[in-house]
Amino acid sequence: MKRKRRAAPPGEFHDPLSNYEEPQFDDNLERSLLQDVISEVMTYQPYKTIADHATVEQAMQMMAELEIACVMVTHDDKLVGVFSERDVINKVSENFRAVKDKPISEFMTPDPIVVHESDCPAKAINQMAIGGFRHIPVLTVDERIAGMLGPQRVVKYVEKFLHES
Amino acid sequence: MGLRQNILTDPVSELDLRKIATVKPDTTVRQAVATMREHQLGCVIVVDSLGKPIGKFTERQVTKLLLDDTSKLDEPIKNHMLTSADPVRDTDSIAGMVSKMQVGNLRFICVTNAQGKATALAGQKSLMEYIADHFPRQIKVQRMRSKIFMDEREGA
Repeated sequence: MKRKRRAAPPGEFHDPLSNYEEPQFDDNLERSLLQDVISEVMTYQPYKTIADHATVEQAMQMMAELEIACVMVTHDDKLVGVFSERDVINKVSENFRAVKDKPISEFMTPDPIVVHESDCPAKAINQMAIGGFRHIPVLTVDERIAGMLGPQRVVKYVEKFLHES
Repeated sequence: MGLRQNILTDPVSELDLRKIATVKPDTTVRQAVATMREHQLGCVIVVDSLGKPIGKFTERQVTKLLLDDTSKLDEPIKNHMLTSADPVRDTDSIAGMVSKMQVGNLRFICVTNAQGKATALAGQKSLMEYIADHFPRQIKVQRMRSKIFMDEREGA
């Protein structure tokens, strides 16, 4: 079905957004989820990276020493994957001795879903809740690594709104 | 009612809780890890004979044990579990659970019933899903794409 576009009379400006209704939110948490940007309201640093040729054992040592659940795997400073404690359970734990000296690139989750610093928090929560990803790398607009968002950091973000009066 | 108010008033039982995986204190670490893998969970709850939580064992302990000494995988889990199970009641508010997780730096939390028996597992992911469910239009319309700019233009 074709729709006829109503043209403004000659010489008269018709604002195409004149019917735009600003979204209404019940509280600051709802507003922030959609209108703030990750770089302004969420913590995504510090973070750790490891080269893709590092061994499984080296990655696990880094995670254990720093008490972190996930590291980002890089190749020439470009993000190529993530390796998390869940990968340890699923891919490493059964056969640790045999695989500990192998490169992490064989056991990481390649091409992870990412968010950008300029995305809204709702997008990060979308990836976690619907995509099922617990850790999501945060990139700058020019695709450089900026940090890592994990569920702990999202909980921290949500919790600060619960204390508002 | 807004999302914040819902989080403050809704009970933990409103969350999409995970089916809990429990083990007895004498279960070996190796068996517990297999249980975690089978249930796709990052944590097992160690319970006594009445089903009450007495400890938990998480992915973090697995990484540390593997690096330390793999022979410990054949030891009973009671030697390596965290002895604070930090449960919440299914009637506690979601906000209370969130605070407990934040203060204790917890990723998983055991949910108990009126008898103190471990019945389910909640975690940070449960909270994400709750937010997505209670704020569906705004959350679910967010694109799942990774790239900020599209490789090819859409449309004409």
